[in-house]
Amino acid sequence: MNYEQVLRDVAKMMVRLKKPARLLKMITRFIDKNFQLDHTSIIVWENSRSRYTFVDSKGSSRIPAGFLRFDREHPLISWFSQASRPGRMSRDYLLCSDLEEQIEKNKKLNPDSIRSLQILLKAMQLMKAEAAIPGYFKKDLLGLLLLGAKKTKQTFDAREVSFFQTLVQDCSMVVKTTEYHQSLLERNQKLESQLQEIESMRAREQKRYYEIIRSLAQQVNAKDPYTFGHIGQVERLGVITGRELGMDMNGREKDILSAGLLLHDVGKIGIPDHILNKPARLDAEEWEIMKTHVDKGAQILEPLTDFKEVRDIVYSHHERWDGTGYPRGLKGEQIPIGARIVCVVDAFHAIVSTRCYSKGRPIETAFEELRKCGGSQFDSKVVEAFISALTKEMKRRGTGFFYDAEAKH
Amino acid sequence: MVKRLLIVDDEEEICDFLRSFFEDRQYLVETGHSGIQAVEKVRSFKPHIVLLDIQMPEMDGMKALKIIKAENPQVKVIMVTAVETQEKIEESMRLGADNYITKPLSLEYLEKDVQEKLSGLLQ
Repeated sequence: MNYEQVLRDVAKMMVRLKKPARLLKMITRFIDKNFQLDHTSIIVWENSRSRYTFVDSKGSSRIPAGFLRFDREHPLISWFSQASRPGRMSRDYLLCSDLEEQIEKNKKLNPDSIRSLQILLKAMQLMKAEAAIPGYFKKDLLGLLLLGAKKTKQTFDAREVSFFQTLVQDCSMVVKTTEYHQSLLERNQKLESQLQEIESMRAREQKRYYEIIRSLAQQVNAKDPYTFGHIGQVERLGVITGRELGMDMNGREKDILSAGLLLHDVGKIGIPDHILNKPARLDAEEWEIMKTHVDKGAQILEPLTDFKEVRDIVYSHHERWDGTGYPRGLKGEQIPIGARIVCVVDAFHAIVSTRCYSKGRPIETAFEELRKCGGSQFDSKVVEAFISALTKEMKRRGTGFFYDAEAKH
Repeated sequence: MVKRLLIVDDEEEICDFLRSFFEDRQYLVETGHSGIQAVEKVRSFKPHIVLLDIQMPEMDGMKALKIIKAENPQVKVIMVTAVETQEKIEESMRLGADNYITKPLSLEYLEKDVQEKLSGLLQ
């Protein structure tokens, strides 16, 4: 027999077979067919049940697979697991002929030591095994290949033993690699599902967060009888503008923009009512106080670390495109896009709404006004997006889309 | 004293294997391959101990157990089977089984249990 060729064939087989149990069954079948033995079987360690069992057994004196189990204390298992063996016998294989020789040799010299050898020989004979070849991974005994007597009654020679050793060692590697691969896969799946759970928890939390924000914003605006109830509309107009600008209006970006739109005037909580609701123009001193609502708004949101972007919008919603706004005098793209949107929507709202200091004007007038201030007060790109989004929306849903909320007050 | 053991399993290889194992340990062994043979061999062979499989043709181990225990309450019956449901275990205990061992089985445990049942009989 060409042993090298056989090993190469087996190696090919190993690459193809994904399930180690099938590989081991093919190995027993292969040995049974090619070596003319009474019996061939494989015992493997079952990690989940902490025991060794037969995966397969072939030949005329086979032992049914699934019939026997072996604990670590079983003489055959412990022989290969323990650190050393008597009489310098090998850890890498066991032949009944060697055992018998050892027993014979020690009979007179050391009668006490042969008892464990006799027990081992009995165990081998019971398993119908002439030779046992262990498969290790590092120090762990993964399994045993048991070879019955040859039908020719010849003993196994060194070449054959070395062939079986190589075969078993290859199988052990495959079994261990597959096991490792499997456990990695399982761990990955577990991680994946945990991540998903965390993600959905985070999403739920976020949603609840924004519900609270929305209701808070309603309360803040209740202070100003003219804008009460409009905050939801401001949000809606801002969101459709964002969508028109190509922003992602399904995830976090929408949440940030929404919160910015809802909370942009939250700082007005800290502005005295007589200034906030003054039915005439504010004087210079009053105006300076009024301007602080952006600082106050940013202060209110300061402790909420998740709201950094929202705070930025609130703080910057009175900046102007040309850099003449407050509080920082930011210019152009330095101003967060959310703030630029709030700016346009807020201005539009002021123009069309009836406030304490002015009567509401028509939408067309508002559009004109916004366009006129594009490039100075507003980002023209945002103005055009806003006008186009609102026009589309009114075409789709009628002007009622905008005026409904207005009519109630 | 001769220790008489009856092994009943429909798989011949299992019977042969266990026979050689217990014969090595100075038991007188008889084997059977069905429930009917189990009942008959208990009558003729008069074993001290019976190892009885459950899933067998003709008559299954549970029926055999019932008859054996009705005829010879003193004989010790150890169920040796691959079937492991709480229901089966409880049923066989109710029918008088003396132990219930599932496959794959540990020979060391089986031998210890057989010895125990035997010394129980001798007391």
